[in-house]
Amino acid sequence: MNPWELIVQQPIINSLIMLSHYLFDNFGLAIIVLTIVVNILMLKLTLKQVRASKAMQELQPKLAEMQKKYAKDKQKLAKERMQLYKESGVNPIGCLVPMLIQMPIWIALYQSVMLVLAVAPEGLLNLSRYLYSWPVVFSILPLNSEFLWLNLATPDIFLAILVGSTMWVQQKMATPVSADPKQQAQSQMMQWMMPLMFAFLATSFPSGLSLYWVTSSIVRIVIQYYVTGWGGLVSSKGRRPITRDEKYKRRITSQEEPLEDDDTGADITVSDSSQEEGLDYGKSGDKRQDRGGGYPTSLRATRRRSGRGKSHRSKRR
Amino acid sequence: MWFKRSFINLIRLVNDLFKRKLILGKSLLLLVMLLVVMSGLISLGCVRGLQPIGWSGTVAADDGTLFVGSKEGRLVAVNVTDSSRQWSELLKAPRQAGGFGCTPALGCAAASAGTAMYGSPAVAGDLVYIGGYNGKFYAFSSSSLTEAPWIYPREGNLQPIVGGPVVAQGKVYFGGSDGKVYALEATKLSWEWEFQTGDKIWSTPAIEGDTLYITSLDKKLYAIDATDGSKKWEFPTEGAIASSPLVYNNTVYIGSFDRYVYAVDATDGSLRWRSEAEAGNWFWAKPIAYNNVIYAPCLDGKVYILDAEDGHEVADAIDLGSPISSSPVLVNGSVIFASQEGMIYALNTDNNELKRLASIEGEVYSPLCASEGVVYIHTQDLTLHRVDANTGAELMTISLKKPEED
Repeated sequence: MNPWELIVQQPIINSLIMLSHYLFDNFGLAIIVLTIVVNILMLKLTLKQVRASKAMQELQPKLAEMQKKYAKDKQKLAKERMQLYKESGVNPIGCLVPMLIQMPIWIALYQSVMLVLAVAPEGLLNLSRYLYSWPVVFSILPLNSEFLWLNLATPDIFLAILVGSTMWVQQKMATPVSADPKQQAQSQMMQWMMPLMFAFLATSFPSGLSLYWVTSSIVRIVIQYYVTGWGGLVSSKGRRPITRDEKYKRRITSQEEPLEDDDTGADITVSDSSQEEGLDYGKSGDKRQDRGGGYPTSLRATRRRSGRGKSHRSKRR
Repeated sequence: MWFKRSFINLIRLVNDLFKRKLILGKSLLLLVMLLVVMSGLISLGCVRGLQPIGWSGTVAADDGTLFVGSKEGRLVAVNVTDSSRQWSELLKAPRQAGGFGCTPALGCAAASAGTAMYGSPAVAGDLVYIGGYNGKFYAFSSSSLTEAPWIYPREGNLQPIVGGPVVAQGKVYFGGSDGKVYALEATKLSWEWEFQTGDKIWSTPAIEGDTLYITSLDKKLYAIDATDGSKKWEFPTEGAIASSPLVYNNTVYIGSFDRYVYAVDATDGSLRWRSEAEAGNWFWAKPIAYNNVIYAPCLDGKVYILDAEDGHEVADAIDLGSPISSSPVLVNGSVIFASQEGMIYALNTDNNELKRLASIEGEVYSPLCASEGVVYIHTQDLTLHRVDANTGAELMTISLKKPEED
C-alpha cells in the first residue's frame, strides 16, 4: 500500500464503513454524514477561500479601470495592480492555497466512496486490502447499496440532474454580476459548463458518487450564503442587501478606530466595492484587517507602521 | 515567492488576453481548464476495481481440450498438444448510457466491447457452459465454438453472472447477482426452476446426490433440492460468503467474510465446527480437502490447515506473502496455490512443507486448473501459463488474445 492509500484513503474508507454500520447499515446516509463532517472540519479553510475569492471579485471593477487607464504602460499597470492588492490587503493567491490544501481531501473522499461502493467483483476484492482488523468492518461488507429510490452502485438520471442544478446554484451564488460584458460572458460560460460537465459525468458514475457531489454542493451553498448571501443568484434589485459578513464588517468599520489584525475573527482583509458599499477605494482605513492568516507579515507590519491601527484590547484598557 | 510571482504572471497573461480582446484565446483557455478538470475526474474515477474485468478459470475436457473465458469477452478452446486455439464469437457487454464509455459494465474509457467472465466454464457431453457479467448464460458446442450458442435468457439480460455453473442430472445450475439460483435444462437451456436468496450470488454451486449447495453474499449457505428447487436448510454465518462450498465426507466447508471457516453437516445443516483462529482477512477462494485435512486459502496471504473432523489446526498457517483469491488444485499429493502476485507454491500434504514452484508474470485471481501434471494459470494479461507441478518448470505460455483478422 502506498503512503497515499495508507495515510489518507484507508482511514476514510474504514470511517465510511463504520459510519454505515452505525447509521442503520445505510451507506447513503454514511456518504452524506461523512461529507458534512469533512466539510465542517475544513470549514475554516473553505471560509478563507470563499472570502478571498469574494475579495478578489470585488477588486475586479477597480482592476478593469486600471487596465483601461494604463493600457499602454504594462509596467505601470503591474505596479498599480500590486499597489491595489497591497492597499486592499488582498492576497492574489489567497483563494488558491486553501483550495490546494482541500483538493487532496476531496479527491481522497471521492476515491474512497468509489472504492467502498465496490461495484464489480474486483472492487470488493480490492477493498479487502484497505480494511482495518475491526470485526465489524469485515462482517458488514459488501455494504447495502440501496438508498431511498437509488441503487448507489448504478447511475441515476434524477441525481445527475440534481448534481448539475445544485452545482449551478453554487456557481451562480459565487459569481457576482459584473458590469463588464466580457467578464459577464465568461462567468456565464463557467456557470453552465461546470454543472453540465458534472451532470454528464454523473450519468456514467455510480449514484453514490453523485450523492457525494450533491451533498458537497449543498454544503457549499450554505457556506456561500453565509459569506455572500445569494450573491449572483438574485438580481441586484432582489439581492439580499447585507450579508452576515457585511454586517460584521460594518460593525467593525463603524467603530472610530480600526482594528489591529490580531483582534478579529475573520480571515482576510476585504475592501468593499464602491458599487456596492459606496466607499472610496482610496481610503485604506475603510478596510478591516483580519487575523492575517495567509498574508505576508510585511503587509501587516506596513499597516502597523502607518499608525492607523490600535488594538481593541488597548482601547478597552 | 517564485510561486507567487508565477501566479501573478499567469494572471497578467490572462488579463493580457482579455485586454487584447482575444476572445478566442480566452475561450480556448477556459476549454483547456475544463478539459483538464474532466480528464482528472475521469482518471480518478477509474479507481482500481471499479470496472469488471473478469477472472474466468480454466476447465479441462476429457479429450484434453481446455476451455477458458478471456478478458476480451470470448470463450477460448485451447488444444494443449499443439497450443492451437479456437475463439467463440464476442459475448457482448450490455450497452449502457453514459459518457466517455465510463460505465460499470463497459470499463473506463478503454472499454472492451466484450463482457467480463468470472466463473470457470463447465463441460458436459458436447456442451461447454459459461455465464457472463452481461447477465447471459451460454452453452457452446465443445467441438466447435464458432457455432451459435444456446443462450439464456434469449431476450433481455439477467443481473451479472459471476459464479460458475455446475452440471448434473440433465440440468445446469448457476447463481446470479440478482440472488437467484437458476436451474436450466442442460441441452436447450430452458428454465426449470429458480430459488431466491437474500443477496448476490458470486460463488459456484456444489452438487452432491440430489442436493445443491450454494453460498450467497446474504451471509448464508443454502442446501436446495436439485430436482425442484425447494430449500432443504440454510446455515447463517456472521459475514458474506463469496467462497464456493466444498462438499467432503458428508460435510460442507465454507470460508466466510467473518474470517472463519465453517464445517456444516450436509444432511441437516447443523454446525460441526468453526475454526478457532480468526483469520486476518476474508476467505474468498474455495478450500480444498485431502486426507481428512482442509486447506483454506485466505486473503490475508495465509493457508489455514485444519482437521476436517474437528477444525483444529493441524499445522501453523503458512504465509504466502500475498493475498490468495484463486482456488487451489491437488496434483500428485501436493496442493498447488497461487498468490495474487503470481507466485506458485506446492504444499506437500505429507509434511506440510511449502515449496516455491514458479514465479509468473501477471496477477492471478482465477481458480487454478490441473491436467496431466501440469497446472494452468490464467493471469490478468490474457495469458494462460503452464507450470509443471512436479519440477516447477514453466512451459510455453499461451496467449488468449484473438489475432486481428485480415
